[in-house]
Amino acid sequence: MGSQGGFGQSKEFLDLIKSIGESRSKAEEDRIVLREVETLKVRLNDPNTPKYKLKEYIIRLLYVEMLGHDASFGYIHAVKMTHDENLLLKRTGYLAVTLFLNEDHDLIILIVNTIQKDLKSDNFLVVCAALNAVCRLINEETIPAVLPQVVDLLGHQKEAVRKKAVMALHRFSQKAPGSVSHLVSNFRKKLCDNDPGVMGAALCPLFDLINADVDKYKDLAVSFVNILKQVAERRLPKSYDYHQMPAPFIQIKLLKILSLLGTGDKKASEQMYTIVGDIMRKCDSTSNIGNAILYESICCVSSLHPNPKLLEAAADAIAKFLKSDSHNLKYLGIDALTRLIKINPEIAEQHQLAVIDCLEDPDDTLKRKTFDLLYKMTSSSNVEVIVDRMIEYMISINDSHYKTEIASRCVELAEQFAPNNQWFIQTMNKVFEHAADLVNAKVAHNLMKLIAEGFGEDDDTADSQLRSSAVESYLRIMGEPKLPSAFLQVICWVLGEYGIADGKYSASYIIGKLCDVAEAHPDDDTVKAYAVTGIMKIYSFEIASGNPVDLLPECQSLIEEMLASHSTDLQQRAYELQSIFTLDARAVKKIMPMDSTCDDIEIDKNLSFLDGYVQQAIENGAQPYIPESERLGISSISDFRSHDVHEPSTHALRFEAYELPKPSLPHNIPPVLASSTELVPVEPSYVIDIPHPTSAPSASDTGSSELKLRLDGVQKKWGRPTYSSPAPSSSSTDLVKVQNEAPRPDSASSSKPKTRDSSYDSRKQQTEIPPEKQRLAASLFGGSSKSEGRQPPSQKNSKTQNHTSDKSRSSKASAPDTAVKPSQPPPDLLDLGEPSIASSVPSVDPFKQFEGLFDFTQETTPASTGGVDGASKDSDFTSLFADMSLSAQSNIDPNPESNGLGGSKVEPTSPQLNKGPNLKEALEKDALVRQVGVTPSGQNPNLFKDLLG
Amino acid sequence: MIHFVLLISRQGKVRLTKWYSPYSQKERTKVIRELSGMILTRAPKLCNFVEWRGYKVVYKRYASLYFCMCIDQDDNELEVLEIIHHFVEILDRYFGSVCELDLIFNFHKLPRAQAYYILDEILIAGELQESSKKTVARLIATQDSLVEAAKEQASSISNMIAQATK
Repeated sequence: MGSQGGFGQSKEFLDLIKSIGESRSKAEEDRIVLREVETLKVRLNDPNTPKYKLKEYIIRLLYVEMLGHDASFGYIHAVKMTHDENLLLKRTGYLAVTLFLNEDHDLIILIVNTIQKDLKSDNFLVVCAALNAVCRLINEETIPAVLPQVVDLLGHQKEAVRKKAVMALHRFSQKAPGSVSHLVSNFRKKLCDNDPGVMGAALCPLFDLINADVDKYKDLAVSFVNILKQVAERRLPKSYDYHQMPAPFIQIKLLKILSLLGTGDKKASEQMYTIVGDIMRKCDSTSNIGNAILYESICCVSSLHPNPKLLEAAADAIAKFLKSDSHNLKYLGIDALTRLIKINPEIAEQHQLAVIDCLEDPDDTLKRKTFDLLYKMTSSSNVEVIVDRMIEYMISINDSHYKTEIASRCVELAEQFAPNNQWFIQTMNKVFEHAADLVNAKVAHNLMKLIAEGFGEDDDTADSQLRSSAVESYLRIMGEPKLPSAFLQVICWVLGEYGIADGKYSASYIIGKLCDVAEAHPDDDTVKAYAVTGIMKIYSFEIASGNPVDLLPECQSLIEEMLASHSTDLQQRAYELQSIFTLDARAVKKIMPMDSTCDDIEIDKNLSFLDGYVQQAIENGAQPYIPESERLGISSISDFRSHDVHEPSTHALRFEAYELPKPSLPHNIPPVLASSTELVPVEPSYVIDIPHPTSAPSASDTGSSELKLRLDGVQKKWGRPTYSSPAPSSSSTDLVKVQNEAPRPDSASSSKPKTRDSSYDSRKQQTEIPPEKQRLAASLFGGSSKSEGRQPPSQKNSKTQNHTSDKSRSSKASAPDTAVKPSQPPPDLLDLGEPSIASSVPSVDPFKQFEGLFDFTQETTPASTGGVDGASKDSDFTSLFADMSLSAQSNIDPNPESNGLGGSKVEPTSPQLNKGPNLKEALEKDALVRQVGVTPSGQNPNLFKDLLG
Repeated sequence: MIHFVLLISRQGKVRLTKWYSPYSQKERTKVIRELSGMILTRAPKLCNFVEWRGYKVVYKRYASLYFCMCIDQDDNELEVLEIIHHFVEILDRYFGSVCELDLIFNFHKLPRAQAYYILDEILIAGELQESSKKTVARLIATQDSLVEAAKEQASSISNMIAQATK
């Protein structure tokens, strides 16, 4: 124990560390380190420095670099030290190079030779040190140089070496998957290694390989199940226990692998149910590591073919997580919930209050995770609340990375689920105002397209209403300082196109506004271009309709300025605008037809109108035109003999590799889809390799021996429809609900006061008995776990809380009248599959419950303690629901605005379908929308990178 | 996979860094600054995880020292939290009291290089390679004994040189 104290360290070194430790400021520290750098430079370069001293200097150099200073002058000395015969120095040298150098550093080439030699060393510690360096430093180019030795080491007698060799190969396969593809069988063999450490290490590369191509490894499912079983039964040496759990890290890795193998594969999943269930039962949920395994099991369950028993166990575990006081567990609970709602949407209902708590939590991490959950469960019924929340949060944060992410999510959700275009435009305005430069430019174009195309139906009134409301909102917004460029472009375009369309604003007013925009952004050529084109459109419209036109002085000066612009684009636009004034109405109408953005412009690509001219020219002796590709083909046929004929060849040098002449798959098809339709190769031979084949489950081998087309995983990857779990159907939940409500003592008298009671009960309960709150939440929101047993005590509470009741009454009064009498209860925030009740049932009005719910959440802020205050805040939420129920009734009340709701290009599903009572259908729709949408699933971390280009 | 391991003192001083993914020196400095700003300011009872540039950083405080590991989005946070604890337990067993960890990393007592060697036995290429404390301890002990022998050899040589040059 620490017997190496001192370890050859000089007093000088200790003093250095001490002085840095005691330095008061960064500047002081920097000064000390810089002085140290100077000393080291001199000493390292001194040829007379003894070797054992060099070692200390190298460690001092490490220290310097760790503190953020440049130590590159000493790298070469570290490299030299790896060459040393002395193990002590060699080890220090390897440590230093692994810390100093990246795999692309020039000095790597000087080390490869040493590594090669050391990998063959008799001393296993030298081999270990070399393998550590291999993992860190070998890059794609140098892999072949060490690969044979590393493979040899897989059979080394020391398990530490075998383990590191496996990990080195794992690293190789990450860097260059092709380099080790022929070694896959070695990984399989290492699963049967005598040493559990080596077996555990082999799981890492196998996980990656399986992740890349599941079908190749289906036969291993049985082996993994067996291994996991043995681990769970404590067959591994005691030293692998961690906090009384048997080899938990290996368990977690195995669970990860199982979930890959079981995804979309019923047969494989069935082999796993027993063991996963066992593990979940055995988990010690009081320790962190037990919870880690539990969490991993839930993840596994959520990706296996659904099994009601396991899902139930997973739901219980999630409930435990969410009820926990630990933020870590809450976080994992939310995450697990996000995974599970894909299979079983109802589960979220039970945890609505907990979810809302997490959303309100001061912990940013938890909040973001909750937004992930909300994002996944957004449907057309709750999109407004969720997106509003997201935008609110987006405005409040500074972290541009997350802001980008959440902005694109808002846009994505709004595009997919927007209940109406008005809302869509308002939402987009908000997003653009705060984060326009962070979202994809395509989004701006979509917005313009939507405004231009309107609802895509015959109803022109609705279209023009939409446009004038857009114009109006933009005229209001554009006065604000510091609008993002992309947003200004949209504004300019819309004003140019529709600014005077409804006759509300005069041409000169709009033109003046556009001139202001151009003037206010002298450095932004794109905005200026949009502005001047907008001006041109308005003038053309005026001229075309025969109105007298006079050039505004500010416009005149703008044109003059642009004529002298360095940007040729701006110049051209200015010249075009100038020339518009010289034309007559007929010509202008032809050039700039009114409201024609959606018209197709026909382009004659063959230039057939020139045929006559060409014919004449050829007759007059001109050379006929030969296409460029053919010309090349003639001139340099020898060079391009091996080329595909239709491959476009150019004169320029080609830097990219020639692509393989195979038909590429369409990009939008996920890889899983493609691979799972292929034939599955059968490799039954590996079953023999299992360490303890006797304990294999009986059903194991039958699956792997038949060759068939696998189509059963295809849809399941993204969509819910094919995966519909054996959860209670909508009608049966209905029944449960009715039954549960009927025996309530006062249900006959009036449902309203009772619901009010129970709504603030939840508040009351919240503060007093947190675990109770969640059960109450379930009962409030009509989840299946409802029971009357909890009702009486909460009603007792209600009597002591008169002022709260008043408050909720006042908040109810502030809600718009339209919302009070819902023939169908409007959907709630977390509405996922709860079927709505027939109107004849004395229903609990979910509205009041929501008021109560949000009332409570408002209460946490000190400002809203007064009743009126709270009520006014409530109305924000309730009015949203009012909107919803309005649109839900649109089939009864055919006002022009809501009539067009269904036809928007962005939201292909009609509101009746989405808002109607059949939520299952709506869910399926949503799943479909997501499937069809740009980004089918949020699983992929690259999603937003993709979105943002 | 684990992209890097950072040990930062409560005052924001770096005690140990290990990078498993390539970061330039400039990026490293930036990462450390960004993360210490984020993590050191977090209140005690919050999650031990923070989202950062599309990754997750799991951290845990022991005495006045923060252990941080950066992982991928789909990794198991709680597992990584336990990997940190696993590392700390091994350090504890090797160095003695965990309370003095900060001192250890402050070089007052022992070479920090030792902590790197231990870390190298636990993590490799950004993955956990050994979950048995015993195995790690045994390996480190073997290394130490060999190193001890080498050290004696070296010092005797240096003594010889010193004597010869007298």
